[in-house]
Amino acid sequence: MRVPIGWLKDYVPLEVTVPDLVRLLNFSGTKVETVHHPSRAISDVVVAKVFSIEPHPNADNLTLVEIETFGGDRERVVCGAKNFAVGDLVPWAKVGARLPDMVIAERKIRGEVSRGMLCSGRELGVGKDHSGILVLPPDARLGTEVSEVLGLNDTILELELTPNRPDCMGMVGIAREVAALTEAEMTLPVADMTPLDSSPGVPVELADLEGCPRYVARSIQGVTVGPSPAWIAARLLAVGLRPISNVVDITNYVMMELGHPLHPFDAAKVTGGSIIVRRAGDGEAMTTLDGVDRKLTSGDLVIADSDRVLALAGVMGGSDSEVSPHTTAVILEAAYFDPASIGATSRRHGLRSEASARFERGMDPEVLPFAAARAAGLMSEIAGGATAAIADVYPAPFARPRITLRPPRTDAMLGTHVDPDRQAQLLRSVSFTVSRDDGGLDVEVPSFRPDISREVDLIEEVARLEGLDKLPSTLPPGQLGGLNETQSADRILRRTLAGLGLHEAWTNSFMSPRDLDALRLADDHPARRAVVVANPMSEDEKLLRTTLLPGLLRAAQHNLARASGGVALFEVARVYEPGPELLPQEPTALGGVFAGTHSEQSWDSRARAWDFFAVKGMVVALMDSLRIPAPEFDPVAGMPFHPSRTAKVSWGETTLGMIGEVHPDVCAAFDVPRGTIAFEMAWAAIVAALPGRPAAASLPRYPASLIDLAIVVDAAQHAGDVERVIRSAGEPETTSVRLFDVYTGPQVPDGKKSLAYALELRATDRTLAEKDVTVVKSRILGELEDRFGARLRT
Amino acid sequence: MVTSSNDGGDQLDAARSAALADVERATDLASLEEARIRALGRRSAIAQARSSLRDLPPEARRDAGRIVNEVQSDIERAFDARREALEANELQGRWERERLDVTLPGDSIQIGSLHPLTKTTWEIVDIFTGLGFRVADGPEVELSKYNFTALNFPASHPSLSPQETYFIEGRGEDVSLRPHTSPVQIRSMEAQKPPVYVVIPGRCYRRDVQDPTHLNCFGQIEGLAVDEGITMGDLKGVIEAFAQRLFGRDLGIRMRPHYFPFTEPSAEVDVQCFVCRGEGCRVCRGEGWIEILGCGMVHPFLLEWVGYDAERYTGFAFGAGIERMAALAHGVSDIRYFWENDLRFLDYFRGLA
Repeated sequence: MRVPIGWLKDYVPLEVTVPDLVRLLNFSGTKVETVHHPSRAISDVVVAKVFSIEPHPNADNLTLVEIETFGGDRERVVCGAKNFAVGDLVPWAKVGARLPDMVIAERKIRGEVSRGMLCSGRELGVGKDHSGILVLPPDARLGTEVSEVLGLNDTILELELTPNRPDCMGMVGIAREVAALTEAEMTLPVADMTPLDSSPGVPVELADLEGCPRYVARSIQGVTVGPSPAWIAARLLAVGLRPISNVVDITNYVMMELGHPLHPFDAAKVTGGSIIVRRAGDGEAMTTLDGVDRKLTSGDLVIADSDRVLALAGVMGGSDSEVSPHTTAVILEAAYFDPASIGATSRRHGLRSEASARFERGMDPEVLPFAAARAAGLMSEIAGGATAAIADVYPAPFARPRITLRPPRTDAMLGTHVDPDRQAQLLRSVSFTVSRDDGGLDVEVPSFRPDISREVDLIEEVARLEGLDKLPSTLPPGQLGGLNETQSADRILRRTLAGLGLHEAWTNSFMSPRDLDALRLADDHPARRAVVVANPMSEDEKLLRTTLLPGLLRAAQHNLARASGGVALFEVARVYEPGPELLPQEPTALGGVFAGTHSEQSWDSRARAWDFFAVKGMVVALMDSLRIPAPEFDPVAGMPFHPSRTAKVSWGETTLGMIGEVHPDVCAAFDVPRGTIAFEMAWAAIVAALPGRPAAASLPRYPASLIDLAIVVDAAQHAGDVERVIRSAGEPETTSVRLFDVYTGPQVPDGKKSLAYALELRATDRTLAEKDVTVVKSRILGELEDRFGARLRT
Repeated sequence: MVTSSNDGGDQLDAARSAALADVERATDLASLEEARIRALGRRSAIAQARSSLRDLPPEARRDAGRIVNEVQSDIERAFDARREALEANELQGRWERERLDVTLPGDSIQIGSLHPLTKTTWEIVDIFTGLGFRVADGPEVELSKYNFTALNFPASHPSLSPQETYFIEGRGEDVSLRPHTSPVQIRSMEAQKPPVYVVIPGRCYRRDVQDPTHLNCFGQIEGLAVDEGITMGDLKGVIEAFAQRLFGRDLGIRMRPHYFPFTEPSAEVDVQCFVCRGEGCRVCRGEGWIEILGCGMVHPFLLEWVGYDAERYTGFAFGAGIERMAALAHGVSDIRYFWENDLRFLDYFRGLA
């Protein structure tokens, strides 16, 4: 909200500097976002009169506008807007003029010289309107600096209001805060509350008291609709509203002044002469002031006459009953609407207005007669209207809440002592009525503070007005803090992977159905079952991911495309698995993607690309870092992996995940090189395998026997199975098995391969004798022969 | 030098001179050894002189023996000196032969990196575990009643609208992607009796168009303390400790009253700009202060919702954006960098520290 200091001063004397005022507001909960000095940004933009408008000879969408300025001088400018007519007053930026975003020079536009520029509101920095040239009030003097006409010499505070303070959505509300903060007296604007006659006024029927508990209608007659005087137009422009006509501008002016939205109906257009506030019928139609045809629902509160809907209550008026240049009688509405109802209607129709933004936060039900009177007073002064009668329907008035504040409770909450009298004084300063009783302070809440309903709300008032800088700085007792086993393991895991040369990635939790296609997953693949977002902004966030691989593959591609020779990324993050429950499962996954160069050629070593075994070794090392036994790797086929270069990673029955080359088709789909390696594993399985504290047994007392065992097996025989048999058959003496050679070639029959193992044998109670070793060796060989037809290589 | 007075003496002088010259000529240990055998070996003049001693009369034998001994020890001294020199030389040669160019590069062992958002999360978590907090988490796809209702959001609050929050197909308005980590406050309190001291890092989601300060998927970190006698002063002390640990030991903080549905009183916290220390600069946009988080006293509505005695227990809560914390701590101008995983960016964070 924009607050011109000059306007604010109408209601509160300001004896502090602007920086001090900003500080006071900031530290009492009214945040000053920006301080604008509009005039400092503008010079040599003056009021000019449109003398003639001719088409541009070389461009259909441009015109040549001749303007007349002070002393009858004429200049010609090229202009793109067409929203003004001959005789209108417009802001003319002379050659050399300074605007917030530009300096004006003489230019040729499509072959025609333009001596300066006509300005829109946005170009002048007075609001967001860029739809046309800002037409100035007709009483502005030719040649005057526009900044003066528009009141731009004023400093404007741009406030960021919190949604709990609808009372601050008008100058008077801000003035109330300022008065409290500067210990000054504030003055309300003057409004004559008495009507011309005491007749009951327009008949008003409130058919939905919950939606509209109070409605004030002032009948104003004899108005002459025309442009607003400069001072009103300037103030509206300064707060970002576009002047329209005196009647409409006055309602907007009072809204900005008192914070309460008003609405004028053309009385002649109200059929039957009565106002009905009711819920719309489902499918009932109307056209709002913005020209949009709207289909209403029974949830929408509307203002109607006997025939039709006149306005979407509290949101926007209807074009049917709009005030026009021919309007002579006005029904001026000041109403209280239920915040939830207005919010729902505003959201349902995607229509937010200055009015709806206020009503949905909760307005002051007691200000209505005053607001209507204030507007009526201005109409009489400016548009010649006179109030004939006032209707004020308020069958069940709201009671002002009364709340007990226990001053010691304030102290306990804040951790500092604020004297009870001081607490009362602070509350009174912002218009609470406070008396002392046995239980503490008896506080009556003013009607414009819908945010105050319980004791803690009052404690907050005291806290913000007293100042949070007065709080002490203490520490709570706390408990035994720290990480649990899983959280510690997570850190070890990430540090190990980073230590092994991987870079950790964070990729987005959303995925697109296209990602699953790119992974070439079958229709019944479990990863196809994803949580679906009901309202994604794009296809890319339609699903919650069931796998980390698309994000990692994309990150790999991103880097490889930027001339990175190799990339090794991992991520630890959740995936989302829908089930029968209301909420999906969110297991954490560990994913990795490796592509390109693993290590560059060096003076003493050859270059190495990422391959399956480099990554597999890393996975084993990772388990080692958590003191988890090495998992088993068994061949498996399944997208998105290469059918014959992929392993399932498991411990017995527990599947950890998959590791393998990415399928060439998937590599192509993600534009990563063939041979890219990936793995994805379930973090829960890793956590489940975490061992307890290590127990250090005594060191072996007898030396080990080291033997080599070379066997010949079928070339297709998996080494993993061979090793498993060696280990089990070699029990308990075999304490270590290391495959040191895999050989095919001469000396080994066709279709066979040789596997050579280094074994460590050991007994706990003696040194193994030659014959003990032979027994173990032949036990292993016998088993290998039985299982795989293996022969000792000779 | 011993002088001799007879023929034998002359011979010995000659042998000595020859031997010393031979020693001088030896350039390595092998030739020195050959020279030693020539000068002192069984067939040398010295050996012959020594064996001929027994032919001399006893008196002459004593004199002559003394001369032989002197000549021999002269020669041996020369040999020893020469050997020492040659040995030193030889060793020096060996060192030279074994010399490594230690300026050649070592094995290339690449250390990777922890993501800056991970590092920042850990850093913040560590500050709070040090203050007696534990780490809690909760679902990201959350019941709307935890995302909003239990947090005292009015039903009309814009956050509840599908313009701002993601909802889940087939679940109506009951399930939404959490727009903040705050629902874990409720879950943490529901799961245990007070006291509660938890810090909650996690991902959150908002329907924001991505720009340098907005993401649709982002990280937050939340803290909650509920106990008897918790005051807003405790909140201030904790935030001060947090800000000073993360941004700089001697920086001040300030609290500005603000509004959040789930805390009251609520505040936004600024930390003194760590670049200009309050003078005003580009980083703080001339303010001298940088907004870092929102916080406040837990609204009694929440305590009542979870069945706590809101008269007996009070609490504070705070929430901060991980990206913002990381961006401020590392001088990153666009938080989208954190989610691009560009190695050139991640490389700034190489290492485990």
